Amino acid sequence: MVVATPSVTWNGPRSAYVHIPFCSHHCGYCNFTVIAGRGDLIENYLRALRCELAELKFPRPVDTLFLGGGTPTQLNKNELRSLLELTLTWFPLTEGGEFSVEANPADVETEKIDLLVAWGVNRISLGAQSFQSHKLKTLERDHDAAKIHQAVELASSRIASVSLDLIFGLPNESLTDWSRDLQAALALRPNHLSTYGLTYEKGTHFWSRQQRGQIQQLSEEAEREMFELAINHLTAAGLEHYEISNFARPNHRCRHNEAYWSGAEYYAAGAGASRFVNGLRETNHRSVVNYLRLVLSGKSPVAQREQLAPEDAAREQLVFGLRRLAGVDRNDFHRKTGFTIEALIEAPLDTFLKLGLLEWVQNRLRLTREGLMVSDSLWPAFL
Amino acid sequence: MDCQQIRNFSIIAHIDHGKSTLADRLLEGTGAVEKREMKDQLLDDMELERERGITIKARAVAIRHRLDGKTYELNLIDTPGHVDFHYEVSRSLTCCEGALLLVDAFQGVEAQTVANAYAAMENNLTIIPVMNKIDLNHARPVEVAEEVEQALAIPTDEIVKVSAKTGFGIDELLRAIIDHIPAPQGRPEAPLQAMVFDSHYDEYRGAITYVRIMNGTVQRGQKIRFLRGGTVHEVHEIGQFVPGPRPTEQLAAGQVGYLICNIKSLDLVHIGDTVSVPGDLGVEALAGYQEPQRMVYCGLYPSDGQDFEELRDALNKLAINDPSFEFEPETSDALGFGFRCGFLGLLHMEIVQQRLEQESDVDLVQTAPNVTYEVVLKTGEVLQIHKPQEVPDVGDIEEFRHPIAKVSIVVPSEYIGPVMKLCQERRGNQLNTEYLSPLRAMLTYEMPLAEVIYDLHDKLKSASRGYGTMNYEFVAYRPEDLIRLDILVNGNRVDALAIICDRTDADRRGRAVVTKLKKEIERHMFEVAVQAAIGSRVIARETVPALRKNVTAKCYGGDITRKRKLWAKQREGKKRMKSIGQVDIPQKAFMAVLDKGSDKS
Repeated sequence: MVVATPSVTWNGPRSAYVHIPFCSHHCGYCNFTVIAGRGDLIENYLRALRCELAELKFPRPVDTLFLGGGTPTQLNKNELRSLLELTLTWFPLTEGGEFSVEANPADVETEKIDLLVAWGVNRISLGAQSFQSHKLKTLERDHDAAKIHQAVELASSRIASVSLDLIFGLPNESLTDWSRDLQAALALRPNHLSTYGLTYEKGTHFWSRQQRGQIQQLSEEAEREMFELAINHLTAAGLEHYEISNFARPNHRCRHNEAYWSGAEYYAAGAGASRFVNGLRETNHRSVVNYLRLVLSGKSPVAQREQLAPEDAAREQLVFGLRRLAGVDRNDFHRKTGFTIEALIEAPLDTFLKLGLLEWVQNRLRLTREGLMVSDSLWPAFL
Repeated sequence: MDCQQIRNFSIIAHIDHGKSTLADRLLEGTGAVEKREMKDQLLDDMELERERGITIKARAVAIRHRLDGKTYELNLIDTPGHVDFHYEVSRSLTCCEGALLLVDAFQGVEAQTVANAYAAMENNLTIIPVMNKIDLNHARPVEVAEEVEQALAIPTDEIVKVSAKTGFGIDELLRAIIDHIPAPQGRPEAPLQAMVFDSHYDEYRGAITYVRIMNGTVQRGQKIRFLRGGTVHEVHEIGQFVPGPRPTEQLAAGQVGYLICNIKSLDLVHIGDTVSVPGDLGVEALAGYQEPQRMVYCGLYPSDGQDFEELRDALNKLAINDPSFEFEPETSDALGFGFRCGFLGLLHMEIVQQRLEQESDVDLVQTAPNVTYEVVLKTGEVLQIHKPQEVPDVGDIEEFRHPIAKVSIVVPSEYIGPVMKLCQERRGNQLNTEYLSPLRAMLTYEMPLAEVIYDLHDKLKSASRGYGTMNYEFVAYRPEDLIRLDILVNGNRVDALAIICDRTDADRRGRAVVTKLKKEIERHMFEVAVQAAIGSRVIARETVPALRKNVTAKCYGGDITRKRKLWAKQREGKKRMKSIGQVDIPQKAFMAVLDKGSDKS
C-alpha cells in the first residue's frame, strides 16, 4: 500500500510566550510552574531569560505576545521594566499586535499600569477567581472583591482589553455562590472572561487533601450545572463562548491562545515554558532552580523534546481545534495538514455524530453542547 | 552399569514440603554438584518455576554415589507437587521403583501427600517415608509420624528424619534409598525397550526425549524406532543430566537419560511411547500413559484481532512442551477470533497464561473458566460442552449433566466447622470424616467440579487460616437441573459472558454478575444497561449511568503535549478492551461471571 505522506511547511512562529514563575504565595490548587517567596531569584531569572533569548540570534517579530505566570506583576517596577524591554527586544510586536500580561488584582497599581501601557501592553488578564471571601479564602488568594473592582477600574481606563479569570466547583460551593460570582464579574463589564472548573492536580495541596479525604470534590452533576450556568449566563450577557473555558465580547478573543488552539507555532522562554517551532515541541525544566542553573551555565534548559510527525500534528490540531466552539473547517484543515478529517478519524467520527456529540454545520465539524460537556472522553479516539 | 547398582526414584510431596530443597541436598550430598555451584532449587530450571516455587516439568538427574565400596547410580526423577499436575506425577512414577514420600515435620500429612502416596502405591512403588524440616523449633515429629501411620498405613519406625535445609539425615536417607528401593529389572542384552516419559524442545538440538530403558541397550549412532509413532531416527547423542547434560556412549536397561536424534518437531515424540529398534524384533509397546484429563476450559482472545496468528504461534510453541494443554480455534460474536483452551486445572491455566504473556507480546482477553458439561439430546446423542455458547436449545435437551469431583481436605480439627460450612455452600455431599490424629482430620466430599475449580482452594485457605489443604479428582458426570444464563449489554447478548448454572442458583448468580459488571464497566457517553437473562426472561438488571461532565478546563501552550499524551494513553487502554456495540468492556469484566454472590466481602 502506498500512501502519500503529506508534507507540512512550517511558516515560523508569529507568537511568543514568556513565563514569570514568581508568586507571593503558592495557592493550594495551582500546579503551574511557580515559586513562592523567592524574590531574591528575580534578578538571576531576568539574567537567565536574557541568555535564553539570546539563543534566538536575531529579533523575531510576532503578532501576539504573552507574559504569563506565576505573577508577572510580582516584579517591582525596575524589574518589570527590564522584562518588558528584554521581551520586546527579541519579540518586537508588529503593528496591531496583541500584548497580554497576567496580573494579580492585589498587585495592580497606577505606576505598574503606566509602565505596562508605556511598553505597549494592550490586554491584561486578571486572576480574580472569585468575588466572595469564603471562596477566595479556600483558594488561598490574597485579594478581596474590592481589590478586583479597583484593579478592573484602573486597568479599563488605560488598557484596551481586560479579562477576568474565575474558578467554579470548589468543595461545598453552591450554584448560588457561582451565580453571584458570574453576576459580579459581568457587572464589571470585562471584555473577556475565562471560567475554570476546579481540578485536583497531582502535586498540589488540594490533591493531597482530597486523597486524604479532607476535602471532597463536588459531584459531577453539580459541576456540570455550574458549567452550563456559566455558558448560559455569559452568552446571554453578550459574550461569545469561543473555547471550552473562554468567553469574549466581539473582537476581544485572546489571539495568542487562539494561536495555540489552531496548531500554529510559537516561541517561548522561561522555566516550564513550551515552544513549538518547525514541528518540534520543546518544554523547559519546570524547576526554577534547575532552569537557572542550566541557563546560567550555558546549557540548554530544555527538559523534553518531541518532533511531531505530520499525522500526529494533524490529529493534535484536530483535537485542540475542536475545543473551539466554531469547530474545524473541513477544507482549511485539509489544506493546512494535508489530511482530511474523515480519513483521520473515520470510525469514531461516525459514532460521535450518531451519538449527537459532534455535528457538521456546513463545512465545519464542531462539538455539540452535550459533546462539549464530555469532550475529554472523545479525544482518546482521535489520537 | 549393572542394574543391581541402579536406583530409580521420585520425590512426592505436598507443595511446599521442601521437595526441591531435598533434591538439591541429595545432589550436593553425593558430590554431583559443588556447593558453590548450587543455586537454590537446581531442578526448577524454568524461570517461572523459580518465581512461583513450583516445579512444573518432570526432570531426571543421575547421581553417582559411593556406599560401602560400591558405586551406585541414583536417578532422581523430579515431579511437580501441585494437584493440577497430578498427571505429570503419574508419568514419573511409572519410571521408578521407589518414591520418597516427603512430609513436613510441622505441617504433617496433607491432602496431596495422601493422593501422591496412593498414586505411588498403585504403581507398586516402594515408599520411603521422609520427614523433612526436623530442625524446626515447632516441628512435631511424633504426631506427624502418627498421622503418616494412620493415613497411609506406613509404620512409624520406617520414617527417615531429615532436614533438607541443614543436610541432617541426608546420608542416612541415601543409604535407605540403596537398601530399600529395589534395583530395576531388565536385561541389557535384550532387544531395546524404553519408555518415553517426557520430552522438550530445544531450539538448537531439536527434540530432547527423556527415556527410561526397560530392556536392552541404546548406543550413540544406532537407529531407533518409536513403536507408536512409527518413525525411525538415528541417535546423535545419548546422555544423562548430572544435572547439566553429559553425553555417554550408551544407556542400558534400568538407566534413565535422554536421546537427541535431530528430530525437528515434538509432534514425532509421543510421551508414553516406546522406543525400540527398527524392524520386527517382537518388542511389545509399553502400557503408556493415560491422556491427561483437562478439567478447565477458557477462551483466550487477542485484544487486537490482528494478533490472532501471533497468538496461534505462541500457543503452538507452548503446547509443544506441554502436552497437557490443548487449544482449538473458536469464534465469539463479542470477542472475534480466538482459541478455546483446555487445562488440567486453574493453576495450570494461570501458568500457561503467564507464559504467554512473558513469551509473546499479545495482549490477551481471557473469558471466565468453565468445566466441561455433558448434554444428552432428545435424539440420544451425547455432546461434550466446553463453553456455554454450545448449550443447545432447551427443547432439544433430554438431560444436562455436570462433572462431579471427589474432594479430600485435610484440616486441623478446630477448623472442621468452617470448612464443612464452606463445602455445604458449594453443594458438597459429605462422604467421610477420618481423624488422622486427635488434632487433624481428613474430610471427603463429592461436589460439582465447577464449585471446586474456581476458588475453593482460596476459600479453604481463608476458612482454615491457611492450614487446610485439598486434593480433588473427577468422579463422574451426573444429571442436574442446569440452565444457560445469558448476559446482555445494551441489549446485545455477549456470548463470552454466558454461564451455565443451577436453575435454583440463577437469580443469585445473575444479580452478582450484573452488579460486578456495573462496577467493571466504565461510564460511557451514554447509559449502559447490563442484564442477566434466561432465554428471553430478564432476571437482573443494572445501569451504568452516562458521563455528565468530563472536560479539561485549561488547555494552553504548555498543556498541549501533556494532554495529548494523556489521551493517547487512554486510547491504548481502550484498545485493550473489547468493544461490544459501542460499549468498551475491560478484560477484567469477562471474569465477572465468576462472582458467585455468596461471599460477604
